[in-house]
Amino acid sequence: MKLLVAVKQVAALDEDFAIRADGRDVEPDFLVRDLNEWDEYSLEEAMRIKEAAASPVEVLVVCVGPQDADEALRKCLAKGADRALRVWDEALAGSDPIAIARVLAAVARKEAPELFFAGVQSSDHAFAATGVATAGLLRWPHAAVVAALNYTPGAKTAVVRRELEGGALHEMQIECPAVLTIQLGINAPRYASLRSIKQAAAKPIEVLGLGELGLAPSQVGEAGSAARVRRMYIPDRGRAQMLKGSLEEQAARLAQIIKDAAGSAR
Amino acid sequence: MVDRDAVTRVLFEQFSPAAIGVFYAIAYAAIAAFGFGVYVQIRKYRRGAAAAIRGSLLARCGAMIGTLLSHRTVARRDRPAGEAHRLIFYGFVLLFLGTSTITLDYDIAGPLLGRHFWHGDFYLWFSLVLDIAGVFLSGGLLYMMYRRGWLKPPKLDYARPDRRPGDPDYDRSGYRREDWAFLWTLLLIAFTGYVLEAARLVWLAARPDVWDYRWWSPVGAVLAEALRAAGLTAAAAGTMRLGLWWFHGLLALLFIALIPFGKVKHIFTAAGSLLLRDPQAAQRLPVVPPSQERAGVQYITDLNWKQLLNLDACTKCGRCHEACPARAVGAPLSPRDVILSLREFANRTLESRTLPAAAELDVHGKSPGQVSMETLWACRTCMACVEVCPVAIEHLPLIVQMRRKLVEDGTMEPQLQKTLQAIHKSGNSFGESKRKRPAWTKAVPFPIKDARKESVEVLWFVGDYASFDPRNQKVTQTFAALLQQAGVDFGILYDSESNAGNDVRRVGEEGLYEMLATANIKSLSGASFKSIVTTDPHSYNTIRNEYPDFGGTYAIEHYTTLVLRLLQERRLTPKRKLGLRVTFHDPCHLGRFNKGYDAPRDILRLLGCELVEMGRCRANSFCCGAGGGRIWMPDPVGADRPAHNRMREAAAISGLQVYVVSCPKDLTMFEDALKATGNEGRFVVKELIELIADALRAEEPAVSAVVAA
Repeated sequence: MKLLVAVKQVAALDEDFAIRADGRDVEPDFLVRDLNEWDEYSLEEAMRIKEAAASPVEVLVVCVGPQDADEALRKCLAKGADRALRVWDEALAGSDPIAIARVLAAVARKEAPELFFAGVQSSDHAFAATGVATAGLLRWPHAAVVAALNYTPGAKTAVVRRELEGGALHEMQIECPAVLTIQLGINAPRYASLRSIKQAAAKPIEVLGLGELGLAPSQVGEAGSAARVRRMYIPDRGRAQMLKGSLEEQAARLAQIIKDAAGSAR
Repeated sequence: MVDRDAVTRVLFEQFSPAAIGVFYAIAYAAIAAFGFGVYVQIRKYRRGAAAAIRGSLLARCGAMIGTLLSHRTVARRDRPAGEAHRLIFYGFVLLFLGTSTITLDYDIAGPLLGRHFWHGDFYLWFSLVLDIAGVFLSGGLLYMMYRRGWLKPPKLDYARPDRRPGDPDYDRSGYRREDWAFLWTLLLIAFTGYVLEAARLVWLAARPDVWDYRWWSPVGAVLAEALRAAGLTAAAAGTMRLGLWWFHGLLALLFIALIPFGKVKHIFTAAGSLLLRDPQAAQRLPVVPPSQERAGVQYITDLNWKQLLNLDACTKCGRCHEACPARAVGAPLSPRDVILSLREFANRTLESRTLPAAAELDVHGKSPGQVSMETLWACRTCMACVEVCPVAIEHLPLIVQMRRKLVEDGTMEPQLQKTLQAIHKSGNSFGESKRKRPAWTKAVPFPIKDARKESVEVLWFVGDYASFDPRNQKVTQTFAALLQQAGVDFGILYDSESNAGNDVRRVGEEGLYEMLATANIKSLSGASFKSIVTTDPHSYNTIRNEYPDFGGTYAIEHYTTLVLRLLQERRLTPKRKLGLRVTFHDPCHLGRFNKGYDAPRDILRLLGCELVEMGRCRANSFCCGAGGGRIWMPDPVGADRPAHNRMREAAAISGLQVYVVSCPKDLTMFEDALKATGNEGRFVVKELIELIADALRAEEPAVSAVVAA
């Protein structure tokens, strides 16, 4: 009995940052890396199934990324995941979500889990496509934006509740194996204590290359992607401005701005 | 003429050998029961983990005897109860020594050495002293009955804030019955002792060696006169004496037999607890050895034997219950109940012949005897409980050790989790970039030395709140100006400083604490300085008391002692007297933790302020509610908060102008509380640093304008 949780090491911008020389990404020095927030929830959901199960359940976390992504996997191991697997090849750089999904689907075929968990989206690139694309490639059923899950290990189906617009919920039954993309708030993720992270450092992380998954370099990276980043940039400043001068001057300026805005709306 | 030297007391007169045999059999049975009880207790303690006891045995012994004889801790904050207990204590000890003297003479020295000393002058003085001891004991007991029955102080109400009426362990009427049984038993023993004495005097009134010396037992003699006046004959008195003799004797033996099984055991456990007292228990939390697999306390057997003994020392006096800020605002925590719960748990599981399975030893949860996480997270680690406990129970390390288990499980408030992750990532609790830590220096009109690059006399450890919180940054900048003005050669660590870790440790995140302490010690060891100063009492506590365990021993002081010296040496000279009516809030980590009570008060006096103390001050200061990581956890909506409670106390001081604090977290907590309690405009909350700066300026500061209204 196995649950697969796909996770991503995401990047957050530090206080000041600069765009890389090629203009297609942020200079890596300015990035603070962490486990994707949605993945904390999907891992927690898998852990809860494992801990409530009567028979042994293996939680496998999988990440596509270079070596520094091990930190995200270690955090998952610290929270109690049984195995961690990282897939990397230089050819993977520049992959779009579909190319990443191709890798994850290959892992899923190899590992044959009962459920495949992914976050609804990643907090850095926010494509919200990887999980669903993986389901498409596997030809497995999927449920996106899952806000509640009821699944007993070994059962043929799971019952999920999905969040719809306007606060409505969508309850559906889904056949396993299935792909679920998990929404924030489905549970309260546990904290990974520093001691447990240190202890997780001693646990192995399996590393696979493309060949071991039966993939060719041409199927991933920019070569295997239908979409590529053209440029990353900071848009010109909006219309917000800081008022300067004495309080009276500021007030007069503010009144003028309001008058101008009201005038144009009329 | 009676030979005075032959005067003594009859013991087994009128007794058949069989009766004496029966008495001895019962006495030995009582001693055996006592011995068995002691064995069970020791077996219970031995089922705990190993304990590291710091300090020399001799010094601890001296401290224990001093505390027992002076009754200092029992009399604190409850003088009448302390005095009554003193009477009971001294009465009981004298009576016990008296009874032991008889045994020594009759059962040991007599049969073995053929010598008797219990006669003559010694016996007469013995009679007198024991009669007076009985008065002490009875007087103390009667007051305690009056206190329980009529005064009914709220701290003796055992109802629990962490349980609801109807819960199996809410009521605790068993404890109340035991309290009363204890008082009545002792009182009956004392009372029957007097009547027995009187009956013996009446019975033997014909014997001059008894009757002529009756006033050496004044209470018994008065009673004897009364009984004779009421018409008691010698023969009737003899019968009465025999009955009372058995009743008194059996009651006393029953008492001895039951000592290890109930409240009475505090005679031994409280003394033991005092003997093992660690004066730094709250200031310096226990380190987790690298070899230890689990950091926290999960099972009752994870408590060390000293902690198990601590549990048994509790007499339910309620001083901690009364002092606890969490309890005061209705949070589900009473330090007393944590101790009593664990004690009930330990007695249920560890007194059995075989140790139950691990699953039955888990102390976390909501079943009777277990401690819930809501209770553990409610603690502010303010040390009020440890400080006031008359029998040296160390609640705080125990609560933190249980929190360590919760942290290992990853169960905690989401907001706390985010803060700890931020501290891990960026070294500060504000989640700001490391690079921004020294941003406050940009508004200071002179360069501040980089202690990493040049040697300084004083290294200023700034701390998180003083570095990042906008309101506190102003105080931080003012303090920099004060140091500059006084010509102090100082510098800071810039972005090589991390959160000091005091509160991280008290949350129970020991791994993160180790990381922070190690990082700061590394930064400090790269700098050259003579001593450290900080405006943050939390940083002050952990660097002073806990960093040495991680290899960093430094001379560190809170800014109040440094500034007091600068004022006394006239390196800082106030230009005018402030003339403000102020009160001072002792920060837990400066006051209770590190006894820094006087320096801030001396400074206020030098500034020409009129200091009006709040009822709860110095060691009894009332926590702002931010300690132990609570500043990173939301308080329940609508509930009272410690800071609000404190503001109401301050507001009761008529004509109060400034509520003075000397801790960055206090400034944040109490400025909020001032608004929330509707006291804005009536008085202001100020850092002591701001008052010092005001006094150094010639012109009127803004404060009097604000307060004049």
